[in-house]
Amino acid sequence: MTSDGVPPILELRGFRYTYLEGTPRAVEAVRDVSFRINPGERVGIVGPTQSGKSTVVDAFAHLLRVKPGQVFYEGHDVAAPGYDRQALRRRVGIVFQRPESQIIEDVVGADVAFGPTAAGLSAAETRERVEESLNTLGLPYPEYRLRYVHALSGGQRRRVAIAGVLAMHTPVLVLDEPMAGLDPRGRHELLELLMRLQKDRDLTLIVCSASLTDASLLCDRFVVLDRGSVVADGPAREVLREPDRLAGLDITLPEPVIAARELRKAFPDFPTELLTEEELEAELVARLGAS
Amino acid sequence: MLELQRNVIFGQYIDAGSFVHRVDARIKIVATVVFIVASFLIDSFLGFAVVLPLLVLIQVVSKTSLGYVLRGSRFFLAFLVFILAFQVLFYPGDVPESGYLWRWGILSVSNEGLYTAGILGLRVIFLYYVTTMLMLATSLVDLTNGLEQIFGPLQRLRVPVNELVLVFVIAIKFVPIFIEEVERLARAHTARGVPFDEGGPITRARRIGRLLVPIFINGFARADTLTTAMNTRSYRGGRGRTKLRWMKAGVADWAVLALITAWMVAAWLV
Repeated sequence: MTSDGVPPILELRGFRYTYLEGTPRAVEAVRDVSFRINPGERVGIVGPTQSGKSTVVDAFAHLLRVKPGQVFYEGHDVAAPGYDRQALRRRVGIVFQRPESQIIEDVVGADVAFGPTAAGLSAAETRERVEESLNTLGLPYPEYRLRYVHALSGGQRRRVAIAGVLAMHTPVLVLDEPMAGLDPRGRHELLELLMRLQKDRDLTLIVCSASLTDASLLCDRFVVLDRGSVVADGPAREVLREPDRLAGLDITLPEPVIAARELRKAFPDFPTELLTEEELEAELVARLGAS
Repeated sequence: MLELQRNVIFGQYIDAGSFVHRVDARIKIVATVVFIVASFLIDSFLGFAVVLPLLVLIQVVSKTSLGYVLRGSRFFLAFLVFILAFQVLFYPGDVPESGYLWRWGILSVSNEGLYTAGILGLRVIFLYYVTTMLMLATSLVDLTNGLEQIFGPLQRLRVPVNELVLVFVIAIKFVPIFIEEVERLARAHTARGVPFDEGGPITRARRIGRLLVPIFINGFARADTLTTAMNTRSYRGGRGRTKLRWMKAGVADWAVLALITAWMVAAWLV
């Protein structure tokens, strides 16, 4: 429970997961991960490859054989017998690393309509949701609804995948490596769109990435994973205050943090909890002015 | 949850470092051929009973968990039972009137039908077991080298041995990749509200059908990438290619082959 009595929207309690458990090919992906995410939070789950990020994401929507007592949605154990997994999946929307994998129908409009239809919405409501989602993602409804998914570019396909999840109006939106493979303009557009959506719909936003830079643009809290365990968890600036530990992991640090670490050679107490270049510049100007 | 990797072990290699793993790959391939020939020659329950202890011996020596092999054969065994049921119900051979246990129109259950289906079932299980064991205990590199050396002499007759072996090995190698891919796709579809983990077997099978188009598209893309990778690394078949390590069969290897051959001949003759 949080201080005001509202249970966290998602919680992992001592979550562990081994793929192909009990076989000679067993791989322990997550060892012992615990954290809580409150409604409306923007959390970046950051870690190098093989750190267990994607396993954690799959656990949120009960896409793995999760053991009881480890994963909770709004305080309810998702692995409890009789728990409505379909309802959970209508609340936790996931955009996977490779967007192609989650596209079900061949035609853009039909694919975006898939979720709402499966959830039992009327044809009129579904159409409205599809139009709204496609327009939001910059894929004008009249132009794109009958296009073939497989004939679209990679960036457009990712947008269709996101539109398919948005159309479900899920309170939680999880994005696994949303920026991978996008050009700078595509990244910028996606970033603005996600920020706007998060504000407008008061979403709980979870971004998985191997890059703290990407995560820092969208999130104000980081959970850093390494080899299946949590190595840091806290507000973004607090986590960045100890950059040396992060630098040992195979993750991309934000540019201002990299610069600040170098500047520590000249100013040993130079702060590293800098999120933007402007902050770095201000700090540097102040230091140089003082000396 | 769709856990195909658990239920399909075809094409997997598990390095348990046992004696079976260390036997020369060529000997293992030839021994497998001996097993395959024997499986067609043996046609009595007694013959297969003689074979059984040898299989148990191989299983024990290989240090591979029997439970893992059995669980990994679930789909295969279910399919086999399905096929054998048809074999029994539509048995085409001659049956004396006293041989029928049950009859309804063209469907029947007869002693002869059960016997034939039983032998056929054992034959298929035997074949499946030895080939699965060969792949579980032989790395792909050894399998490739072994096949290339066994069929090497055919190159003089202008048979493209290296290319054929390569195609065979890639085909096997793609099975686990495909299985992983199906699992990944099924997870993504589940997240969007296709409940792969609910419903009866037919509903589930129909849902898997939906994955076919993306799987084929990914498969072609993968094949394309592989071709490009091989071209950029100047793959041009096996002509003039030398090997760093030549395989050498020792006394123990030949003894294994002799033992298996003798055992199979005995099983055939009883």
